[in-house]
Amino acid sequence: MVSQVSNHPAGILGGGGAALYVLFIGLPVLALLVRAAQQSDFLDAVTSDAALTALRLSLLTSIISMAVVVLLGTPFAYLLARNDRLWARVVDSLVELPLVLPPVVAGVAMLMAFGRNGLIGSELESIGLTIPFTTTAVVFAQIFVASPFFIRSAKLGFQSVAKDYEDIAQTLGVSPWRTFFRITLPLAAPAMFTGLGLAWARALSEFGATMMFAGNLTGETQTMPLAIMSAMETSLDGALALSVILLAGSILGLVLLGLLTRRRWQGRL
Amino acid sequence: MKPQTAESAASGWVECRVGDFHLETSWEIQPGQVLVLFGPSGAGKSTTLRAIAGLLRPVRGRVELGGRVVYDGDAGIWVPTHGRRLGYLTQQYHLFPHLKVAENIAFGLKDSRSPAGRARVLELTSLFQLDGLEDRFPWELSGGQQQRVALARALASEPAMLLLDEPFASLDAELRRTLRRELRSMLAQSPVPVMLVTHDREEALALGDSVQVINEGRTLVTGEPLDVLGQPGQGRVARLVGVENLFDLTVQERNPRDGTMTCVGPGLRLEVPLDSHIPQNGTPEGGQDRVTVGIRASDIILAKEDLSGSSARNRLPGQVISVESRPPGYAVTLDCGQPMRCHITGAALEEMGIRVGQRLWAVFKASSCFLVDEDRV
Repeated sequence: MVSQVSNHPAGILGGGGAALYVLFIGLPVLALLVRAAQQSDFLDAVTSDAALTALRLSLLTSIISMAVVVLLGTPFAYLLARNDRLWARVVDSLVELPLVLPPVVAGVAMLMAFGRNGLIGSELESIGLTIPFTTTAVVFAQIFVASPFFIRSAKLGFQSVAKDYEDIAQTLGVSPWRTFFRITLPLAAPAMFTGLGLAWARALSEFGATMMFAGNLTGETQTMPLAIMSAMETSLDGALALSVILLAGSILGLVLLGLLTRRRWQGRL
Repeated sequence: MKPQTAESAASGWVECRVGDFHLETSWEIQPGQVLVLFGPSGAGKSTTLRAIAGLLRPVRGRVELGGRVVYDGDAGIWVPTHGRRLGYLTQQYHLFPHLKVAENIAFGLKDSRSPAGRARVLELTSLFQLDGLEDRFPWELSGGQQQRVALARALASEPAMLLLDEPFASLDAELRRTLRRELRSMLAQSPVPVMLVTHDREEALALGDSVQVINEGRTLVTGEPLDVLGQPGQGRVARLVGVENLFDLTVQERNPRDGTMTCVGPGLRLEVPLDSHIPQNGTPEGGQDRVTVGIRASDIILAKEDLSGSSARNRLPGQVISVESRPPGYAVTLDCGQPMRCHITGAALEEMGIRVGQRLWAVFKASSCFLVDEDRV
């Protein structure tokens, strides 16, 4: 097998591509770590107030947005997976819009909808709701850009569970609700975790839409990526420290994702 | 352990529409009896099962099982699938891949963790010879074991009816026979009405108490397996159940005294039973009436010489044109003016040294021939 692939022209090209790719991705990551390690006050920078505040806000907002995405996105994804009517297919392609829309545009668009002079902004204000430039806006921005990653993946997960499993479960006297929680959900779980991991990463790294719609207020809307940009203007050390924290978080997330999505029954559906 | 409802018959009729496909069928099955739905794929067999299970909503109809009506279109009664108490087996079994054998079997039990629930699982694992496999996952089992787990799971909650959708189709012939026997003895122990879908004649004969042949959403005939599948009287049924030899012949002479008639066709001359039951279609008395004659391949004896001293009315010389393996035996095709298929055992094949080109005699009684009515529906 191995020799067959390495003798193949694609094998040589592929090998070269792989080496280039590893360099291309690895070098900047390595550089970041080396530079951060060279800072004498690296630990201070990591545990500085500004860094911790931004980290706390990033975690809080992303957890809230992920909770919303999972709670509302799961039944939605299930509906899309089991329905092939026209409206479902239209909605299905709408789900992909945020993936191709530049985040900055998403931010402007949300401002036009929920902003003070936005389409429904004044109505929201009259009932005492102000969204733009608040922590809520950060969550809105994250949900907007990150939800498709979860919904798409969850939909594929549900589609991989043959409807026959659900049918059989019901003939065994188990209600549709219990069937969903005992059969469908566990079987779709790996795909859902994958989607959640991707969505979370996207939410944590959200920059453009947040910038436009939520602003850059320390402690209120300044998440990690925004804090890194702000720090770059004053001290490279602070920016490096924040970057390393995000990098560590990403790697940890990747490992967790690998563990959460592994199943003994993989490929047996 | 046995619920009182287990003694109830299952009956009903449904009319279903799935896209362009239209199905109309009815059934009545006594406890412990097996009704075989026989027909080609796309005939509406699985649709019937799904309608009974409530996985598909019929246009009209009435479904009664376990002594209660679970669907009545006119009365507006609709019990959802999970309230119908059914055992439903599919060809791929659909064992839940994330659950172990014991968990699969216990899936439908309301009290799977109680002592009674555990006892029930234990009872089923030993009944289906699954001891020691409780902690395996479905993919760690052989095909036959998977089939047993699926059956155990279906029976765990004591269903009022069993729906079996080609449950043996993906197993080899040997295992099929074993599992068929097991299913038979299991049914003797817990008598529930069973509806079995198959397109395997042998299976229908081995398991069926009655056979219903359906095609294109219509029931063509219902009856005893041997009558329906052995000597089917209708042309379409004969083709569907795979009668190996069908000949279009012309009646030459009727011999009412013997109860036979002589029929001829290109290169063929047969003695067949008299067609007293046929002329309902306005066939004229005497004259050149055409008939279709069926002969089962297993009813034909092959001989090396003419058995002139025998009682068999039909003795046709012919040349072997092909010999095919047809487990557990062989199918020999003889050119007796028209090709004639005969089924023989491997031992017979070896003993007689049958090979292509050899000259043999096909011998069969007049009563092995049956008339097939081409026009009746």
